[in-house]
Amino acid sequence: MSDTKTTEETKKDHGVLYIGMDLGTSRTSVSASNGVRETVYSMVGYPKDVVSMKLLKKDVLFGKEALEKRLSLKLYKPLEKGVLKYTGDATMDAEAKANLKAAQDLIGEAIRMAKPRKDELIYCVIGAPAEASVKNREAIIEAARAHVDSVMLCSEPFSVAYGLDWLEDVLVIDIGAGTTDLCRMHGTMPEEADQVMFEIAGDAVDAELARQIEKTCPGAQFTIHMVKDVKERYGFVGDAPERCIVDLPVNGKPTPFDLTDQIRSACSILIEPILEGIHKLIASFDPQFQTKLKNRVLLAGGGSMVKGLDSAVEKAMKERLGGGKVIRIEEPIYGGANGALKIAHDMPADFWEQLK
Amino acid sequence: MSGFKETLKDAVRQMSFRTSLDTLKKKGVQQVNVLGIDRIIALIEAAVHRSLKSHLVGVEREAVADATKAEFLRLLRTNEDLQRQKTEVERQKERVEDEVDSLRRELFVQQHALELKLEQGSLSTANRYEGENAEIAKKVGEVIRSLAGGGNLPISIAEEKVMELVMNVIDGERKAADEARRALHDREVDNLQRRIKKLSSTLEQTEGRLQAVAAMKNIDSGISSLYREVQGLSLADAQSGKKKELMAEIFKANLKLQKKG
Repeated sequence: MSDTKTTEETKKDHGVLYIGMDLGTSRTSVSASNGVRETVYSMVGYPKDVVSMKLLKKDVLFGKEALEKRLSLKLYKPLEKGVLKYTGDATMDAEAKANLKAAQDLIGEAIRMAKPRKDELIYCVIGAPAEASVKNREAIIEAARAHVDSVMLCSEPFSVAYGLDWLEDVLVIDIGAGTTDLCRMHGTMPEEADQVMFEIAGDAVDAELARQIEKTCPGAQFTIHMVKDVKERYGFVGDAPERCIVDLPVNGKPTPFDLTDQIRSACSILIEPILEGIHKLIASFDPQFQTKLKNRVLLAGGGSMVKGLDSAVEKAMKERLGGGKVIRIEEPIYGGANGALKIAHDMPADFWEQLK
Repeated sequence: MSGFKETLKDAVRQMSFRTSLDTLKKKGVQQVNVLGIDRIIALIEAAVHRSLKSHLVGVEREAVADATKAEFLRLLRTNEDLQRQKTEVERQKERVEDEVDSLRRELFVQQHALELKLEQGSLSTANRYEGENAEIAKKVGEVIRSLAGGGNLPISIAEEKVMELVMNVIDGERKAADEARRALHDREVDNLQRRIKKLSSTLEQTEGRLQAVAAMKNIDSGISSLYREVQGLSLADAQSGKKKELMAEIFKANLKLQKKG
């Protein structure tokens, strides 16, 4: 009787759950065909010792919770500059192995966040950076395979464009934490020549803002996480929508600082490399379609939430390229995951079957 | 290694079932072949080793065998933990359900007691007054009759007067007694009402806890997908031709990556 019950429970005959995942340096987001949409900071923490494990009552913590309890944890950010901190070499050190495990646990957590049923088939598409090495991609596949029935990887900027049904003559700018990726779409899968990547992205803005605060706010105490929070709340370029008054401790006492100029200056470091990337991809495109491409520039990723960035890039394009139109996608955090979900949905059944 | 064997033994024991010789005889079994648990374990190990030997060699085989054993033990422990958690949640649910049942029963008993008390209060008052009146009238009548036997006052007038006098006194006494009785009764009713209120609130809290336990159990069950079957591209999609090609390209790249091509 119990045997029969077990068989029934594991039978995957309830339906098919599609999951789209955007595995990012700063955040990992999932969108699923059961309506769940979740995001978690790409941070994984393990209790430092038995005492902290007893206190935390968990073997592993993720995202904000891990960040908040970081003093009791060994904290890992398993992705750096858009890819796993994992080389796949035989000489891999303990730290690299720990990062690999953290990445595997993070992917597992992201899938759990989608709240899958045990009796449903789970098909997952993960948006991975175009620059990820084969070993890196294999590690992502292996980590996901433990939790799903079939999994595929696709390029992150491609999934953003696919999610919006913009498949031809569109230029996607995906501003993440570790990297900014530009990708030209022309109706086929983008090739190496269609992509530009550079490392000036969210983390670089945080570092620049921290440097400026240190220089201009004497005595102010802060961590890079506090700086990140300030940027996420106030980040802007161009005209300030409001004065950015932030309390930072000075000698233990919260003290207000006006960080408006520092924030503007730090966020502005994104503009020039983006413009160079756009210039390169447009100049090397078929001349007949260059104007169309200039007028279809999509701004995506967490970094695109910097206020005024679309207008600033548009203004710079006008000066350097004679014009252009930049559109910020509606949901920067979920753009990649939504696109990956759409790819998962559109993928034929036999393709999924062959990858099981 | 011996720890692994013991765990494997436990697993085999858990998966086996007990039966008696009588049961087997009823099923028509006359003879059975007996295979000891140590032999079963040895066979499993031999099978695993043979399988590994056919695919792997030397150190690699040992490493895979060790990793497999470690993974097996880990899975077994995870399974045991999950079973324990499940049992605990179920036990908690049962406890809370019992609590809710007993609270419901007690609430019903208390409400019933209150109703009875209220009914009894009005009935006993009426009965008591009736009895007391008759008793007093009887006694006064006797007094008057004895008085009239030796005087000029008409009996009826004397009786009327005495009755009036006595009834006035008694009315006063009754009012005082009624007030005392009502106060006592009110206190009892008040206590009962307070108790019912408290019970209702406890019941509400316990039902909340029950829902929480039920919700805890539902976490594991997940949320159903919108789709019962694999979907694929819609033919009505304006870009279906192009998307089909893109899907094929993504698939090919993944097939190569996952070494299934």
